[in-house]
Amino acid sequence: MKRNLFAGRPRSGGLSVNVFTESELEEIHFASLEVLERAGVFVEDDEALDIFSDGGCPVNRDTHMVCIPPHVAEDAIRSAPSRYVLYGRDPKNDFVMEPGRVAFTNFSEGIRVIDVETGEYRDSTKKDVADIARLNDYLSEMDTHEIAVGAKDVPPETAAVHNTEVQLLNTTKPIGVGPLSGVEAKAIFQMAAEVVGGEDELRRRPILYSGVCPVSPLKLPRDATEVIIESSRWWIPDNILSMAMAGGSSPVTLAGTLVTHNAEVLAGITLAQLTERGCPVMYGSSTTAMDLKLAAASVGSPEIAMISAAVAQMARRYLLPSFVAGL
Amino acid sequence: MAALAGANLIYGAGMIESGVTFDCGQFVMDNEFARMIKHVVAGVRVTDETLAVEDIAQVGPFGDFLSLDATLRHMRELSQPEFLDRRVREEWEERGSKELYVTCLEKARDVVREYRPEPVPDDIAARIHAIVEKTDRLVGVA
Repeated sequence: MKRNLFAGRPRSGGLSVNVFTESELEEIHFASLEVLERAGVFVEDDEALDIFSDGGCPVNRDTHMVCIPPHVAEDAIRSAPSRYVLYGRDPKNDFVMEPGRVAFTNFSEGIRVIDVETGEYRDSTKKDVADIARLNDYLSEMDTHEIAVGAKDVPPETAAVHNTEVQLLNTTKPIGVGPLSGVEAKAIFQMAAEVVGGEDELRRRPILYSGVCPVSPLKLPRDATEVIIESSRWWIPDNILSMAMAGGSSPVTLAGTLVTHNAEVLAGITLAQLTERGCPVMYGSSTTAMDLKLAAASVGSPEIAMISAAVAQMARRYLLPSFVAGL
Repeated sequence: MAALAGANLIYGAGMIESGVTFDCGQFVMDNEFARMIKHVVAGVRVTDETLAVEDIAQVGPFGDFLSLDATLRHMRELSQPEFLDRRVREEWEERGSKELYVTCLEKARDVVREYRPEPVPDDIAARIHAIVEKTDRLVGVA
């Protein structure tokens, strides 16, 4: 029998989860703006203080406290791009970051491995970084490659540079890097420029993205701001990833944790946008609850799942790509 | 959860011990889980064809759907794990009673030993290494 087509029938387009209503997301957003204006953020580095100050934020150079007015934070959310591409050394691995699209990557950054040949539990080495990068390159569902473990057999002050050297050689997918200073960031970006054929080409096709972590609660340390500033200038996407622990470095309630988390990430995004308006960023989260009996972060708990889902929704509301804890 | 909420990059594959340790066997297993999760996120397509009313009416209460054209056409849309073993216990025992982790670890081992992606040309690798050494000297740890 004939069944004619429907005119404009809505379709669900896949499974999803509702975490918050629009008004709840709005309340979290306004609470974060209030925290940024009233409590402010501690910014260790003087160059970052200058950038915040030039961008219209009241800055106290004695206490290193920065108040971010709501309009400055909202401008930053608006100017950060909603969509960009992470490029691979092999163009078949070029990957679109866009709110709502779902992809996976490996864990970053551990300090030990289970030896793949012997099963030994030991410190990680530069060779491990290379082996895991190749394994990541092979695995079908991994769209980028983060530094899985830090090499412990290289100088800690430049370990991020050594790690990225072997990443570049052992995978053709976009790579997530972890410099801990402006000096490391610059060296890493120069190495990537060598691979693609120059700084202009790297700006056009960034084959890497950096990651920084505010320190909860409400601090942007020097290592984070140096990397944000350097990444922004090179137009390398920067993942601003907060790692709060509910009950420890953020309020015990998950809603309160989302507020400080959001404020920290927005502070980092604001710095990036005040450095180079329009530069690409990621809204990141490693935030979870603290197990208050063990005084440790509870990874793999219901809370981290809920927070990751909530953060993904906040990021979608801001029209920003997100990077969250999952597997 | 994160996938259902539309997070763009979900990290964590390969991690054990609350983020201290990386395990290649776990990594291969997590890759399989990621594949299964994406399958769920893709959802259920509702169209006249997928509702399959004509087939259902034709097969009726006493038939099965195995040999239908539609089954052949759409069968690859169902999830197909590489490592998750859906066999019954006796068959699993006949094949050596291997745990999921062990199968995944063996695969990880093979890949680490054998697989080589497109290499970076030697001259570029040398220039990259020169930057590493220069940075070590600059920071004073060379």
